[in-house]
Amino acid sequence: MLVIEDLAAGRGQRAVARLRTLRLEQGEAALLLGPSGAGKTTLLLAIAGLARPFAGSASIDDVRVLDLKGAALDRFRGRHIGFIFQDIHLISGLTTLDNILLSPFAAGVPQDRAEAASLLARLGLADKASRPADRLSRGEAQRVAIARAMLMSPKVILADEPTASLDDAAADTVASLLLDAAAETGAALLIATHDQRLRRRIPRQVEIEVLS
Amino acid sequence: MTLAKLVWSFIRRRPLTWGFNVLTLGTGVAVVLALVLVSQAITNRFERDLAGIDLVIGAKGSPLQIVLAAVFQMDTPTGNIKLSQARAFAQNALVAQAIPVSMGDNVHEARIVGTTPAYAALYGATLAQGRFWTKPMETVVGASVARRLGMRPGQVFIGAHGLSGSADLHRHTPYTVVGVLKPTGAVIDRLVITDVASVWRVHEYIDPNDHDEDAPDPSKPHEREVTALLVKYRSAMGALMLPRQVSAIPDLQAASPAIETARLFSLLGVGADVLRGVGAAILGLAAIGFFIALFGAVSQRRRDLALLRALGAHPSLLLGVVALEGALMGLAGGVLGWLGGRGLSLFAAHASQVAASGPTLIPPPLGLPDFVAIAASLVLALVASIGPAIIAGRTDPARELSGG
Repeated sequence: MLVIEDLAAGRGQRAVARLRTLRLEQGEAALLLGPSGAGKTTLLLAIAGLARPFAGSASIDDVRVLDLKGAALDRFRGRHIGFIFQDIHLISGLTTLDNILLSPFAAGVPQDRAEAASLLARLGLADKASRPADRLSRGEAQRVAIARAMLMSPKVILADEPTASLDDAAADTVASLLLDAAAETGAALLIATHDQRLRRRIPRQVEIEVLS
Repeated sequence: MTLAKLVWSFIRRRPLTWGFNVLTLGTGVAVVLALVLVSQAITNRFERDLAGIDLVIGAKGSPLQIVLAAVFQMDTPTGNIKLSQARAFAQNALVAQAIPVSMGDNVHEARIVGTTPAYAALYGATLAQGRFWTKPMETVVGASVARRLGMRPGQVFIGAHGLSGSADLHRHTPYTVVGVLKPTGAVIDRLVITDVASVWRVHEYIDPNDHDEDAPDPSKPHEREVTALLVKYRSAMGALMLPRQVSAIPDLQAASPAIETARLFSLLGVGADVLRGVGAAILGLAAIGFFIALFGAVSQRRRDLALLRALGAHPSLLLGVVALEGALMGLAGGVLGWLGGRGLSLFAAHASQVAASGPTLIPPPLGLPDFVAIAASLVLALVASIGPAIIAGRTDPARELSGG
């Protein structure tokens, strides 16, 4: 369960965006809307504790992310928050499977290769497991990034413009994959986007407030 | 997924940068290590040849030359000393042992030294074949000479006048091999030793057809000579008194092998210092190269490092990734340099063996310098990675990830 109240975040000394209120139960999905460059990414980073919020709070299962510090915050983020970046971001020298296992590796928890392999298989990437990440197509890489966010069964999945620069069919596939991932892991799914195609799929939508 | 796998994937992305830096570090380590090994081999070699000789008494001249000629068999002697004078010092109360050496002839570049069996005992040389001489013109051959010239007991050979070259052969007075020594690693390996009287016999022979100016004049009574006397003191008192007693005699010169060797090393030391400086400069460049490479790696991978933070990594993991990358490359450079240094010292040893009449060098066995070479490379790499590792640890994920 993700609860956000009056969360304002920014870059440097300047608050750029605010989200008034949002409450997402397990398996629920919502869109975070706003014009490009308005601060959607910054708000997502603040929810994950990667950017210090200026005001308000974000709580995940009644734990206020703002209250956590240092190693405890890193540990919490690693275990309970899955992040999907706009540019996907796989590490090119590693195989597909190792890129997925980066999640438990970075979080410092035991790695279950079999589970990671079966997750890849469910996403139709069974034959790509040992392929270097830089030899995947964009669509395949996108699925690997989703798998990486799902592997730890997080409480919250945060996705940043996951459909940007995808064609309609691919965007539709990614939307389905994300919704399935949230349903399967029981995570609250929050997608930052300004993509009209996603607005047709996900009815819950919150608009960010742009602070000048 | 392991830390090593992650670091290796980073290293593989910059093969040229790392290849060059590992090579630079390896070169620096190789030069310094080779220098240490070779100078250790030279020191060992000289120490073995010194064999506890306290003083060399020779004809007036340069003390360094006397030591080089009489102990290390590398230079021409300053002249000869009278047998009566040598005998007087041998019987001196301050002297525990005095071994005469007489040089003047060679066989295929191996010096023929007239001495006593005590000379072989000085180097702990024992017989591999045959026996020691019982009369003049019988010889015992050092191990490398025997190997090089294929000498065995029973063989007869002719000496040539001088310490090298074979223009002037003593055909009238052939030598016989009666024994071959086991290798000692000391100067005696490349000598042919014989009785002092053999040398007198060879040089007192008067060829009826020879009108050489330096041929002995049979009309004058001829006093027998030796080249030098190798002396061991009976007590510390010898060191105080004996050199003074020697220099009181006009034709004689006392030379302390320890002092002369130290003087020689200080002369060689200048060249070694220059090489050491070059090695240190290359190591310094390697350290800077490592710093630049790691710094570049960190800037290039800001987003990779930010990703790890977003996935829950503590900043210490980022620090460790960079330090491990530096350490692995430092270890690679160290091992490369170790192989290079060992290779260079073997090459020096081989080159010293090719020059048959020169002293052979034996590189010291694996030991502290080898360990230090590799450990120092690792430390150098780790020191160079401190700065970049700290920068990596301070990666601000928000800044790197919100740019997109």
